[in-house]
Amino acid sequence: MQSNIFVLGPVFAPLIGAVLTLVFRKNNTVQRYIALVAGIVAWLCGLAVLATNIQTATPQIYVMGGWRPPFGIVLVADMLSALFVVMATTVVTGGLLYAVGCKDNSVTYPSFMELFLSMGAGMSGSLYTGDFFTLFVFLELMVISSVCLVAISDNSLGLEAAIKYLLISAMGTLFLLLGIASLYATFGTLNMAQIGQLLATEQRPLLAQASAAMLMSAFLLKSAVFPFHFWQPDFHTTAPTPVHAVLSSVVVKVGVYGIIRMTTLMFTVEADAIKSVVLVLGIIGIFFGSLGALRTYDAKRMLAYSTFGQIGFILVAIGWGDPLTQPLALAAAIIYAVNHSFVKSSLLMLTGVVSSRTKTKTARLSEIGGVGHNMRLTGALYMLGGLALAGIPPLNGFISKLAIVQGGIDAQGWLALGLAVGGGIITLIYMMRTWQLVFQKKPDGKPDLKPYGDSTLAPLLLIGLCVILGLFAGPLVDVSTAAVSQLAEPEIYIAAVLGG
Amino acid sequence: MNLLFAITTGIMFGLGVFQLLRRDLIKSAMGFFILFTAINLFFLAVGAFTPEVPAYIDPATNQPIRDGQIADPLVQALILTAIVISFASYALFLSLINISSKRYETVDSDNVDQLTQ
Repeated sequence: MQSNIFVLGPVFAPLIGAVLTLVFRKNNTVQRYIALVAGIVAWLCGLAVLATNIQTATPQIYVMGGWRPPFGIVLVADMLSALFVVMATTVVTGGLLYAVGCKDNSVTYPSFMELFLSMGAGMSGSLYTGDFFTLFVFLELMVISSVCLVAISDNSLGLEAAIKYLLISAMGTLFLLLGIASLYATFGTLNMAQIGQLLATEQRPLLAQASAAMLMSAFLLKSAVFPFHFWQPDFHTTAPTPVHAVLSSVVVKVGVYGIIRMTTLMFTVEADAIKSVVLVLGIIGIFFGSLGALRTYDAKRMLAYSTFGQIGFILVAIGWGDPLTQPLALAAAIIYAVNHSFVKSSLLMLTGVVSSRTKTKTARLSEIGGVGHNMRLTGALYMLGGLALAGIPPLNGFISKLAIVQGGIDAQGWLALGLAVGGGIITLIYMMRTWQLVFQKKPDGKPDLKPYGDSTLAPLLLIGLCVILGLFAGPLVDVSTAAVSQLAEPEIYIAAVLGG
Repeated sequence: MNLLFAITTGIMFGLGVFQLLRRDLIKSAMGFFILFTAINLFFLAVGAFTPEVPAYIDPATNQPIRDGQIADPLVQALILTAIVISFASYALFLSLINISSKRYETVDSDNVDQLTQ
């Protein structure tokens, strides 16, 4: 199997960029542009890998240091991980573009761009990696960078949220490590493809099932699913705006990716038990998140709660889906994950644009009423984003909601489908209420605003992407369906890695 | 995994979980480190671990051992990486506690509670 050098790009371009930004730590402007270039290089490499994947229909791999798998470390980009990396690098590049035009104090700190890039590298790495220990290393890189980024936030409550998240996430990574140790004790290997091969053929020892439970809890914690969710609104709300846009949209998808990978490649026998748990947790998440968003007091916090609800939709679709019998539902989960990332990150950036105009940089609903009255472009974009999140045609949110409903009808999960659609209507209520409050309401008296806020270029591009993905949904649906058909045959993945 | 390792890992795990759930933030940071060490110990014990024989070289003949009597070198490499990562997390955790103890003038996690208001 030929190594594809482009697979290295999304992981190592941000890391090289991070080192370069440290070299130029005296000059903030140079730092910003180095970071942006590194993000764009990572994005282009991710796109190239996805394009090669579509062309050749085989997973692309990169064998690190020439050590043949299963002994060496290998980066694997099959259709699913290539698509998720394109999603992640797009949003990270959007976040970097926003940070270039951001007026926050924290963006000017010498370490901000370095941490942002290492967070992106950790995310791409944990999506691409083909063995469990490297997954652990990249997840820790992502967690530590994001904790530092939130702790240096302009919002003084960031420190408290960072401590809270570090404690909880440390517990999650410990369980991940314990699960990895159990897998190693059972199979004597850490390579995902080989573990999948052994689990498919041999009778399963008890420790393998225990490790499946431990890995599951670690991934659910990373995605902030119901019993592990309580850190998420605090941690995300207090983050600086560009970081919040990345955290709330793509970082939470790493756990979703892990669950899909676990249920399709490795623990295919235990998959039914895992999926029934995930389905119930998803339904709880939809209602918990949507109702939380409805009664919260802060526009950024509302979107953080909304992420919690939207992850619920993805989990419900994973719960229905099966690569062999229910491919549509699983494809719906992937489409939903990609579309939601773009919508949510652009909405968060637009909220940041509005709150950057106030003197205290707050997003409290009691204080930003009417602030956006004269911001026509931002208002229009926020409207489009809100409609996309609620699933109104012709935007991309409609495509993902349609795919979910189709998948639910196929899987005949009527109760869950009814609850999911009912929960989806709440989205429309809270998005439109906030839009009216911020952009339609006349301000009381003369508002005390700054003349300039953050740049709207990044959210403009991301909303443009949402509209394009809504009008021309064909390619994304095709890629997701192809990804699911590749997941249906784990032999392809195993053969690509082990060269069988 | 021999009995001594099993008991030690169990005790350290319990101790770590108990300390992690303490109200005092410094104690919970120490609990985190103890817990990490317990898992590293578990990792070491589950590898093919024969404590007397070094990884690659037979002490008598000074020749590489090929008959499966050696300790598994992979877990040792993994534990080294895990120790580095745990040390970074621990240092970051303590530095955050240091800043917060200056700001809130306490390390009691019940009094670090501005987010709930």
